Amino acid sequence: MDTIVALATPSGRSAIGVIRMSGAGALAITRLLLGEAEFTPEPGKVLLKKIKDPLTNEPVDRALVTYFQAPHSFTGEDVVEISCHGSPLVLRRVTDILLKLDGRLAGPGEFSLRALSNGKLNLSQAEAIRDLINAQTDAAANQAIRQMNGEVSNSVRPIKERLVRLIVPLESALEFVEDDLPAMQLEEMKRELVDILCEVTRLAATFESGHLLRDGVKVTIVGRPNVGKSSLFNRLLGIDRAIVTEIPGTTRDTVQEQIAIDGIPVLLTDTAGVRHSNDPIEMMGVERTKRAMAEADLLIVVVDGTAKLSAEDFEFLERTSERKRVIALNKEDLPGFEDPLVGKVNGGENVFRVAAKTGAGFPELQQAILEAFGVSYASGDQLLITDARHYDLLCRTEAELERALKLLSERASEEFILTHLYNGLRLLGEITGETTTEEILAKIFSTFCIGK
Amino acid sequence: MVFDEEFDVIVIGGGHAGCEAASAAARMGARTALVTLNLDLIGQMSCNPAIGGIAKGHLVREIDALGGIMGRIIDRTGIQFRLLNRSRGPAVQSPRAQADRSLYRQEMRRTLEATANLHLLQGSVVDLLLRNESVVGVEMEDTRCVGAKAVVVATGTFLNGLIHTGRRSYVAGRAGEPASIELGEALKRFGFQVGRLKTGTPPRLDGRTIDWGVFDPQPPDEEPVPFSFATERIEQRQINCFIGYTTRALHESIRANLQESPLYSGKIRGIGPRYCPSIEDKVVKFADKDRHQLFLEPEGLNTNEVYLNGFSTSLPPDLQRKLVQMIPGLEEAQIVRPGYAIEYDYVDPRELGPDLQTNRIRGLFHAGQINGTTGYEEAACQGLMAGINAAHFVNGHGSFRLSRAESYIGVVIDDVVTHGVDEPYRVFTSRAENRLALRYDNADSRLAPYGRELGLVGDMDWQRFNARRDRIALGQSALRSTVLRRSDATYAAVSSRLGCDLGDKVSLAQLSQRPNVSVRVIEELMPAEVRGRISKGDLECALADTLYAGYIGANETAMGRLHQHDALQIPVGTDYRHISGLSREMVERLERTRPLSFGQARRIRGLTAAALSILLVHMNMKEKIG
Repeated sequence: MDTIVALATPSGRSAIGVIRMSGAGALAITRLLLGEAEFTPEPGKVLLKKIKDPLTNEPVDRALVTYFQAPHSFTGEDVVEISCHGSPLVLRRVTDILLKLDGRLAGPGEFSLRALSNGKLNLSQAEAIRDLINAQTDAAANQAIRQMNGEVSNSVRPIKERLVRLIVPLESALEFVEDDLPAMQLEEMKRELVDILCEVTRLAATFESGHLLRDGVKVTIVGRPNVGKSSLFNRLLGIDRAIVTEIPGTTRDTVQEQIAIDGIPVLLTDTAGVRHSNDPIEMMGVERTKRAMAEADLLIVVVDGTAKLSAEDFEFLERTSERKRVIALNKEDLPGFEDPLVGKVNGGENVFRVAAKTGAGFPELQQAILEAFGVSYASGDQLLITDARHYDLLCRTEAELERALKLLSERASEEFILTHLYNGLRLLGEITGETTTEEILAKIFSTFCIGK
Repeated sequence: MVFDEEFDVIVIGGGHAGCEAASAAARMGARTALVTLNLDLIGQMSCNPAIGGIAKGHLVREIDALGGIMGRIIDRTGIQFRLLNRSRGPAVQSPRAQADRSLYRQEMRRTLEATANLHLLQGSVVDLLLRNESVVGVEMEDTRCVGAKAVVVATGTFLNGLIHTGRRSYVAGRAGEPASIELGEALKRFGFQVGRLKTGTPPRLDGRTIDWGVFDPQPPDEEPVPFSFATERIEQRQINCFIGYTTRALHESIRANLQESPLYSGKIRGIGPRYCPSIEDKVVKFADKDRHQLFLEPEGLNTNEVYLNGFSTSLPPDLQRKLVQMIPGLEEAQIVRPGYAIEYDYVDPRELGPDLQTNRIRGLFHAGQINGTTGYEEAACQGLMAGINAAHFVNGHGSFRLSRAESYIGVVIDDVVTHGVDEPYRVFTSRAENRLALRYDNADSRLAPYGRELGLVGDMDWQRFNARRDRIALGQSALRSTVLRRSDATYAAVSSRLGCDLGDKVSLAQLSQRPNVSVRVIEELMPAEVRGRISKGDLECALADTLYAGYIGANETAMGRLHQHDALQIPVGTDYRHISGLSREMVERLERTRPLSFGQARRIRGLTAAALSILLVHMNMKEKIG
């Protein structure tokens, strides 16, 4: 039995999240995860361990690791439970690492099924679990339908269709050697396969939500002096970290603080608003502001909603127009607030009316920050698991297509190339629904005039 | 019931399915009767005079390995052997042979007549005799009642056969032969779901009226590769086939006359095979194609008749002649038999278990075109399996099945009994998930042990099999153990011949994986004592094993985990309605196919992942509580 991996606690934010692994390879994978080749824990003992990404050696989390030796475990197999901190990002990252280390994401009810196979459950427990699976698979089915209409399937389906079109001439050449088929265009096919491969890679990268989310995102607050940048900073932070006064230019240096929005680490930077100055200290602040702006993944441009737009405001808006940004229209709580941006920015621009003093508009602002990185509150609970499964499938597809490309370049016999293309197709098919041989044959017969 | 005569097994039909079924059942010890409408037409090739081709050749090799007869008969009567896909990997190579149609028939008849326990009966079966939902015999047109414990129906296109040429239609099983109407009606009366399919055949020409010089000769292989593992050499004289082409003007004429075609006038309801389109279909569906390829295939060594392969048509005969004469080289050609289309009944093969026995009537087996397949080889392999299972049934043994993973036969039968058919079903290598492992040259190692156990592989063949297996094993071990080192005298020669460095040492197995390393190179490097003991064919087989070994293993681990529960058995008579959580639609799909394993259930189209999970849990629970 291969080793299956899944989150054992409900997904979403919590203090602790438990990742469970079951199968003959559980201990071997744990050794890789901890970077301890000799790790042989006493069964049932809880150990505090540092978890590192074995590929980059970066620390990921400190976690409690418990080993249950077969057959004395829930599934009857070797089981390792890793209790991490409850951030979805951390849990997802640890799961991703386990999948890379030859774990496989468990199907619905698979742990229970293994327990059942190994005689670990009695009938009434099994029935209870079956009902649970019914419920889960119904939910999964609903989700499958949503995905059928949704972005995931819509992105994968064209790739799959292109793959089928690539399979058709290869398969026909093999199968209908006596028919008068057009010669295969090897170079063209290679280009097409490279293209398809790029698409899969691109898609895999988006499912991973990019390195930004893994390493945390850098968000920098900018704007002219005295628009309330530091108040906004403090409000996002939840404590009075930056000094706030009525005096423009109070913040001379950049101030940084690590916060979490819905479990996603955000490195928040408050900057000096001054643009031009001869004061040597202020000049240093200006330099740092520039650097913080350049390094940021997202900019929050703060504008005072109670004042007319100044030349400096314009300059900030202008300079950030090509960047990923949200605009916070501050001081919504004060009299005289009106939208000075009307007609000054594009209609599609993310503009939020907020009051740093009262906190009004902040939930929307926080959501906008996450959405800018492709994370949405709305996709909620199942996001972690579903994503990891798709990501896993896409990465495996990528590996298959790479091998197919290599073989195609080496002019290997078609049956080898096709084996990998079919594997890729089958993996993508797990996202969109299977492609049967019948469909491929149908495509062949509609493409070529086959048959004596 | 009083019978005029009694047998263990009756096989209805003397075509490719019927012959294999009768031969196998008789040789397994069952007293067997083969009932056919015309004894002179046993083993008739109704369509093209050829056996094999990609995937089909694999089937014939598998039939032969199990102890079937098709391979031996084509080897004795084939007049043009070619191994297809020589430029590709051994897994997708496959033998094909043109047959002398008349010799094939004679040889088949001779073989059956020489089979102990086998009786040939001429006559027409009009009804099945039942007792308690089990078959007990058949009733003949001449009112004879013949008893049997098992019956194999292998009636080909004869069930309610209806031939079409132009605007004329007439009842027939093949051109010039009566159809089987009453038996078709009887099957419907028993409640079998019957559908309609269509196939067609091209005109046959008088070879003396063909301008042969216009066509490109297609020569036979210099070293013919036989179908049967028992055949040492091909004795028949080998001949050329010829390739020609249609023209745009001809396409225009066909399109102008479509109203004469029963295919396009709406007279034909049955669905034809996509991979055997009529010439009408070709010029309509691929209208932009300048020409279509045609093959002139001589029907035999002692006849002038030539089969115009690629020109299947149901246009009226006089029009066929005009159109044929528009083909360059056939301006003077005379048609000796016109082409025609034929519609016939098939019985939904989802009514069958994997042993080809009907669920409805115990002891009744269906094989060949009645199951919606097309092709002599597809028919023959089902006939063989039905014959084996009929004999087992008579003797009270369990059923004999082959899995998809070990054989194309398993793929064909699993496909049709699981999915049913909506057009004539043909085998393709792409239908086999395990195609790299299912080679024509290893069919014996995959299946001969079964054939031996069944009693179908005789002592001589078994000895031959064991000797070959040992020689291949010897070759394999020599490939692994023979190592070229930099210091060896031959190393430099090989390295310079291949134009690359081979590292400090390289085994022959590793060397053989490099591109441009021919069998000959490896053969020369083999130790002399091994080279003297194994043939080139043995070495090729050992090399093919080496070529795919790592590949198959790695791929199985990658993909296999998706299918780890496939072997779980689903008990016969499982009541799906009582499995809580299955929707009505899922219950219906499961009931139609009645899968016997989780793997088969998984392949049922339209069964959802949720339904499969529920089924799996249900099965696991059943297993636990016994």
